[in-house]
Amino acid sequence: MFLRRLWLDHFRNYRSLDLTFPQPWTLLQGGNAQGKTNLLEAIHYLATSKSSHARVEREVVGWSASEEPIPHARIRGQVERAGQVTELEILFTRRAQGNGFTKQVRINGVARRSLDLLGLLRAVLFMPQDIELVTGSPSIRRRYLDVALCQIDREYCRHLARYQKVLAHRNSLLRQLREGGARPGEPRVAAELGFWDEQLAEHGAHVLARRYAFLARLEPLAAAQHHLLSGCQERLHILYLPTFDPGHLGPQGLQELRAGHYRAPRAPLSPPVPAELAGRLQAHLETHRARELAAGATLAGPHRDDLVFLLDDRELRAYGSRGQQRTAALALKLAEVRAMAAETGDTPVLLLDDVMSELDARRREMVLEALSEVDQAILTATDWEDFTPGFRAQAYRLQVVAGQVRAGGKD
Amino acid sequence: MAEPLAQPVSNLIQAFSRLPGIGPKTASRLAYFLLRADDEIALNLARALEELKARTLFCSVCLNIADQDPCRLCADPQRDPTVICVVEEPLDVQAIERTREFRGVYHVLHGAISPVEGIGPEDLKVRELMARVRRSLETETPVQELIVATNPNLEGEATAMYLARLFKPLGLRVTRLARGLPTGGDLEYADESTLANALTGRSEL
Repeated sequence: MFLRRLWLDHFRNYRSLDLTFPQPWTLLQGGNAQGKTNLLEAIHYLATSKSSHARVEREVVGWSASEEPIPHARIRGQVERAGQVTELEILFTRRAQGNGFTKQVRINGVARRSLDLLGLLRAVLFMPQDIELVTGSPSIRRRYLDVALCQIDREYCRHLARYQKVLAHRNSLLRQLREGGARPGEPRVAAELGFWDEQLAEHGAHVLARRYAFLARLEPLAAAQHHLLSGCQERLHILYLPTFDPGHLGPQGLQELRAGHYRAPRAPLSPPVPAELAGRLQAHLETHRARELAAGATLAGPHRDDLVFLLDDRELRAYGSRGQQRTAALALKLAEVRAMAAETGDTPVLLLDDVMSELDARRREMVLEALSEVDQAILTATDWEDFTPGFRAQAYRLQVVAGQVRAGGKD
Repeated sequence: MAEPLAQPVSNLIQAFSRLPGIGPKTASRLAYFLLRADDEIALNLARALEELKARTLFCSVCLNIADQDPCRLCADPQRDPTVICVVEEPLDVQAIERTREFRGVYHVLHGAISPVEGIGPEDLKVRELMARVRRSLETETPVQELIVATNPNLEGEATAMYLARLFKPLGLRVTRLARGLPTGGDLEYADESTLANALTGRSEL
């Protein structure tokens, strides 16, 4: 998979950009706040139809957009895959009311749904703040799973979107029932929640089963990467922390997870199947009616789950050093590249945002090795010296200055 | 500064622009059209608007908007009162009537269950439907089937499931409109979930 060409209009600090990528490796050099990250964000946006870090669509529309008669921003890219060229486009235009922007997706010039975009361009983005995968809040780890899985599995994305809709309805209903003083045993509670329980369990089960299955493939790859990166003998493990009993952990396994007694699994677990998970989630919802009514919110399901990283039996988040956490995050990202390649039969575009400066020589070498496995990689750096002369010679070099990109730079 | 527009004109423009789908431009065009058009056109419109509120009411049986009570459909002896088609909005009645396939009667819920918007069953005309069905069970023409024709989205499905739970215990047949491929459509253009629904809902030839 290869991104041949990228156009940007009024995307963040880019007024207008037309960029060609002639070589497998592209190296973007520039000072701080010149637009290196924005460029990678635009590519990642094209792959996922979501921003890697903006919370609202409005944020990605640059100030220069207001000079246009109709304020807008555009990301357009040409993707080549098996000799076929596809043109992807995301257009942001101002809503008729309010100051928000709406997002339109076009594929080869034809208006399509955001969902149709997924899988046409796959990308893995690694940024310095990705250390938060290990140290940050659970929502960051759920997001990691969602972004990775949506790119390889359209069904996952469909179930996830439906799940989130059902969840919003169900939470509203629980709140209304709480305010109305409803009791768990009342027939109207079961009658009104019934449909939402069923739907939540059905779509939640698909989301969960696909997460478990993905993790089963990702985990050994991440462990192998980690071993190569760190050279240490401790093995990296990733545990999935569910909010209800998925059945395959055994009563003791679940209790230990709940109590925070994490230990490396002795043998790989076979991932559970959706039909069974749905039954278990629905049963869980029914037995925890009183708690959910008191909270006025849905307390179990994939929207509350988490991942735990272990080095042997030691939890990385609590006991790992900063360096160990960073290595684990990088291992996870490199494993994602391989998992995606294995899953889809073609490698994602690897986007590395200013990661070299933080790594020692050994880890840099490992990253460069990963680069040779993908069809295309786009890297940013503040300093040309972050890369060896040998690497620089092989890369297509660009300089980013104040939202403009020009070819050339130190050889 | 003097008002640039004559007061009656700007009043009308304002009134038009409160209608759905009409912005200030269209509102001005409509107002100036009426200003220049024959008096009869404007007066007809005014009378129609007045009658709209004065002479329409809710049918006490099916809760559709009507000009008499019970409405023409409910009063028609040719219609079969034992089959009720339950819809979300009055416009849905028209849509189903256009098919000329349905000979039963209707019940309009005036919405669908949507917890996010704070709409629960008690905000819909469900209680009225229950009373109507219960009443009919005492007569010679008891209701035998409810055809739930709510929209095939999350809110419509939630409403359908709720109605099924409520009415099945009364011994009624509760059915749902089939979901699947549009007539004259192309299989290859159907999205996955529509196609999946069409597969599960397939029927014997």
